Amino acid sequence: MKKVTTRSFAAMLLAGLILLGMGIYIFRLVRDGGDWAVFYANDSVYANGALNRGTVTDRDGVRLAFAGETAFGYAEDAAVRRACLHVVGEQSGSIGTGALSAFRAKLVGYNLLRGTTGDGGTVKLSIDADLNVTAYEALAGRKGTVLVYNYETGEILCMASSPSYDPNVGFDPDDPAYEGAYINRAISASFVPGSVFKLVTLAAAIENIPDLYSRTFTCEGTMDVDGTTVTCTGTHGSLTVEEALAHSCNCAFAQIALELGGDVIAEYAERYGLTTPHELNGIPTAAGSVEDAGSDRGNVAWEGIGQYNDLIVPYSLLRLMGAIANDGVVKEPTILAGAITGTERLMRSDTARQLRSMMSYNVENNYGAWNYPGLEMHAKTGTAEFGDGTSHAWFAGFLTNSDAPLAFVVLVEHGGSGYGVASPIANTVLQQAVFG
Amino acid sequence: MELTELIFGEGAAFLANLARYIVPLLCIAVVVRCVRSMLRERYEPETWAYLYLPGEIMVPLRHWECIVGRARNTDACIEHESIDKLHACLIRDADGAWTVYDLGRGETQVNGEHVGPGGLPIEDADVLTLGDVPARFVDLTEEERASLLKYRHKPGRLVRPAGTVLLLNVLNILLALEQLVYNPDAGVLAAMGFGALCVFEWVYLAVLRASGQRGFETELLGFFLSTIGFSVAVSSVPGAVVKQLIFLAAGIGLFLFFGIWMRDLRRMKKLRLPALVLALAFLALNLVLAKVTNGAQNWVEIAGFSFQPSEFVKILYIYAGAATLDRLFVNRNLLFFIGFSAACVGALALMSDFGTAVVFFTAFLVISFMRSGSFATVFLALAAAALGVFLVLTVKPYVIARFQTWGHVWEDVYGAGYQQVRAMSAAAGGGFFGHGAGNGWLVDIVAGDTDMVFGVVCEELGLLTGLCCVASVLALAAFVVKNASGNRSSYFVIAACGAVTMMMVQLALNVFGSMDILPFTGVTFPFVSRGGSSLLACWALLAFVKGADNRANASFAVKRAERFSGGAGVEEDDGPAYDDSDDDDGDGWHRDDPEAAR
Repeated sequence: MKKVTTRSFAAMLLAGLILLGMGIYIFRLVRDGGDWAVFYANDSVYANGALNRGTVTDRDGVRLAFAGETAFGYAEDAAVRRACLHVVGEQSGSIGTGALSAFRAKLVGYNLLRGTTGDGGTVKLSIDADLNVTAYEALAGRKGTVLVYNYETGEILCMASSPSYDPNVGFDPDDPAYEGAYINRAISASFVPGSVFKLVTLAAAIENIPDLYSRTFTCEGTMDVDGTTVTCTGTHGSLTVEEALAHSCNCAFAQIALELGGDVIAEYAERYGLTTPHELNGIPTAAGSVEDAGSDRGNVAWEGIGQYNDLIVPYSLLRLMGAIANDGVVKEPTILAGAITGTERLMRSDTARQLRSMMSYNVENNYGAWNYPGLEMHAKTGTAEFGDGTSHAWFAGFLTNSDAPLAFVVLVEHGGSGYGVASPIANTVLQQAVFG
Repeated sequence: MELTELIFGEGAAFLANLARYIVPLLCIAVVVRCVRSMLRERYEPETWAYLYLPGEIMVPLRHWECIVGRARNTDACIEHESIDKLHACLIRDADGAWTVYDLGRGETQVNGEHVGPGGLPIEDADVLTLGDVPARFVDLTEEERASLLKYRHKPGRLVRPAGTVLLLNVLNILLALEQLVYNPDAGVLAAMGFGALCVFEWVYLAVLRASGQRGFETELLGFFLSTIGFSVAVSSVPGAVVKQLIFLAAGIGLFLFFGIWMRDLRRMKKLRLPALVLALAFLALNLVLAKVTNGAQNWVEIAGFSFQPSEFVKILYIYAGAATLDRLFVNRNLLFFIGFSAACVGALALMSDFGTAVVFFTAFLVISFMRSGSFATVFLALAAAALGVFLVLTVKPYVIARFQTWGHVWEDVYGAGYQQVRAMSAAAGGGFFGHGAGNGWLVDIVAGDTDMVFGVVCEELGLLTGLCCVASVLALAAFVVKNASGNRSSYFVIAACGAVTMMMVQLALNVFGSMDILPFTGVTFPFVSRGGSSLLACWALLAFVKGADNRANASFAVKRAERFSGGAGVEEDDGPAYDDSDDDDGDGWHRDDPEAAR
């Protein structure tokens, strides 16, 4: 008997395996339960395919999206609906990168304890709806994006993408004006950076060329590199490195790029997070790419100027601006009001300080501080040549006003000159952000 | 809704919402009470006879099947160099007659006569010579046994079963209220169904208490699981309430019948071969007549009634597969059992009912290990099974598709992952307390109330209730193992282990299959999944668990000792009063060694 009864522990082995399995289930439930619960088949939280609960507001409590009595609704004001479309997202899921997707578990009121048995939740975004409207209207129908964030708290105040549309109305998919309307250009697309990329090349030079500040660069308007012609915006003559950045001198930066090598530039781009994907509140962002041009010196020159095969995502440039403003440490951005985010050191603090002073020099000596009244502006323009002869207009930088620690990126696709097109938009938006 | 509004008015919704939170807590209370009772009650062995060694050293024989030898894991250990590790085997039959078998070199004698291969009968006062050791065999008279019985503790005092039934009643009433409020299709009939469950519970308790039974944890867990299952049935098909109740009543009837049948081991042993034949006949019938449902052809329809023969084969398989100790020493018996098992598993594979095939195969592994104690047998069986799986995969390619979906259900939410993702979504949506009985949607998808039932329970009654269901089955298994050493015959131990193994494998395949932790095979959750055949089979399997409950007067499935003296046995007394909060150790056990009474 005893021999048989001791063997009955075989049954306990099975019981142990079941306990293990239940442990796995509980672990997965804790980890993924929110994703499971918001699955569209969960009839407890969906009515006719739309959420039956939950509200999204901007930082001042303006309702941007909500589950009404009978249907799902968006902001009252049509201008707000259009300007905030990409950050809010659309109920049907056409825009998968918006708050409606990212915070669905919170909107349906999910937590482990009560599942979806309770009421829906409210998601308060850090976005200022009025600022988004100003930004969207400043883009004036041109394709592009405006990003503004507080580099000390991480809160994104403005994230507008154009073209957009009124989710209550929709749009004609055959109309070329709405091409790519579902894409949030701030986080989901990459663009040729042009001269804004010179900040990366410059940072690499600061750290790798010891006598950078005692150098003088010569610009004759064009420069021949192994048969490739590098053209410049002007004929700048003899320049210091500060002057080279202020005038965005291609010849000077071609020389710096050639001295550094394509691999070093690509490495710095990666180090600064320009070529890796990020997560913005769990929303995956696109990745840019900076390709080492290798032994082709002509292409290395263009690589350092932000042309060649360089592509960057506006959001990753925003992080870089935040890092430069913040002594090299980026405060990770968020679109949730009051959210606590992490930090990451992107560059050495003395590098950041030198870049900061040169970006201020740009404004004082070239862009004109009078263009940005009341703003302690630090910036870099970009006029990125596109294959078809048009240019993307960029303007990226930050303010050091003690009451407005804001970093920003403005991009107008095929907009023309960064100084002429993107800079005024940045000023309009920032004036409102700082002075109301 | 009208009914509840009539009675409670505007407060109905409030009460139902309150009930939502109370139900999982009640479930916990019921399971905890049963488990506490199982853990705290004493598991005292019975004594059937003694061996008196030279020097009046007394060795008690505590089972009907005792191995005597020098090894420590024998039932009667005699440390003498002339005795083999496993020397002899003493077996008592249901009539009280003892037989000695020699297990080794033939150095066993009864009154000087050598014990041959067929064994020798041994009676009171005979001298059993083991090697050089002469031992006097003393069989207990019925009076002696009855007086010993007085000193065994009877279960049911520490955690009173009536209290548990009361909790179950409240559970039933609250579930009825929730169904009336949340489920627009549940009417008076459904509410009365919950009432009928309460009646079942009290009638069962009253009748068995009146006949002197004391242990009820096993069937109370069965009632608990059936109650949850009944709520699922009301959510799913409110109109089929009566049918479900009839099956439940029939299941309890089958449970009682089997339990009483098991009192007589001789009767059981006689019918093992017929049970085996019947099992194979059922499977053959299935193969010939079955219609294909959801990929597997495991349903048979006769005269308008459809049922799953494989469910009944489970009972017969355990019945025929368990064995008494005397059979365990004959290899031929094990080989025969392996052949029988292969036939069962093979037939199920032919029907494409792979989930049930796994249930049988695992039961086979446990039973054959318990019978042989041989890991080699287990490994051989596993190797054979691996070969079988390989064959199945080549013959039935759609099974491969199922394995491919495993772990990737979220990548195919409209196809092969359809049911699982919905089960996971609904289960997560239920949180800890659930949406309320009758307030879920998962029950409406294909096989929601059977294969996805864990999801339904979690969605409607909460994760806590779902975990209680799992805990109930595990508690039954732990109970069987804990109780194993007190059993009279290895038959009961093996049968009970086989039965709880089947329940556990079903549970594992059901829960983990629907939650994408194992490949989805479509197996029912014991007692909870809707379905007549499965409910009947579960209650019948529970009888095997009951048969292994050898505490004093605990189980109707175990013949009580006092019955041997014509019913005029020990009078029913509760002994010294115990209250629920006492320490059951130490001072309560003031009568010391039962043997001292002699």
